[in-house]
Amino acid sequence: MNCPDIYTDYMHDYLDEEITPDNETKLREHLLICADCQSHFQELKKTIALVQSTSHIQAPVNFTSAVMARLPNEKKQVGLKR
Amino acid sequence: MEALVKKRILQVLKGDQDAYGEIVELYKDKVYQISYRMLGNRHEAEDIAQEAFIRAFINIHSFNIDLKFSTWLFRIATNLCIDRIRKKKPDYYLDAEVAGTDGLNMYSQIPSKTDMPEKEIESLELEETIQSEILKLPEKYRTVIVLKYIEELSLIEISKILNLPIGTVKTRIHRGREALRKQLRHV
Repeated sequence: MNCPDIYTDYMHDYLDEEITPDNETKLREHLLICADCQSHFQELKKTIALVQSTSHIQAPVNFTSAVMARLPNEKKQVGLKR
Repeated sequence: MEALVKKRILQVLKGDQDAYGEIVELYKDKVYQISYRMLGNRHEAEDIAQEAFIRAFINIHSFNIDLKFSTWLFRIATNLCIDRIRKKKPDYYLDAEVAGTDGLNMYSQIPSKTDMPEKEIESLELEETIQSEILKLPEKYRTVIVLKYIEELSLIEISKILNLPIGTVKTRIHRGREALRKQLRHV
């Protein structure tokens, strides 16, 4: 089925939470009658869920002390002189 | 949090280096995460994340205190990641032979998963799949997808971090989502 691109635009507006109520109604009505667009929309939502499911990772231990040790010496001395 | 950060920045500007340690503690996980998702390699991610904090420290006098510090810091980090991606040579690839190892490639350096419970292996494999699909995205789409869906930043913040009009950010997110959809549809 060759649907107008406007429905894909509506899907992205919806995902960005920027769709107007009118366009949301148009999108919902279209999805009811178009299996292709429905699966396109499901796949987009699944993609987002998958990306968001990647667990949050943490910086390695001693990250902060490693950064502090690499700061330029010049500035360190300013701190010591105070 | 921003108020506390600003207080610490003023201390750093007066020469108190320890105050900078607190700023690093507050943002280290986010900066490391951006770097890791952009580069896909823990060692490189650590290197770039450290570099981002060092550059921020060196240039802290040029930070406009009325702006959000994290926006400025994330801009430094994403720029460093993009530079690194552009400089990357094919010999970074996992199937490249490691010099002097007689046929061993980087895959052989990845720890074996045999001691792990089935479920953990599955979720780890899924995560590796998702990460590798993110890494296949061209860098301009990868950046916005990481900032939007892993760092959970708003379109406005992303546009400030990347110094791009919001319309451009939106277009890139749309294209990034479409590219990932095609890559991940059979997962």
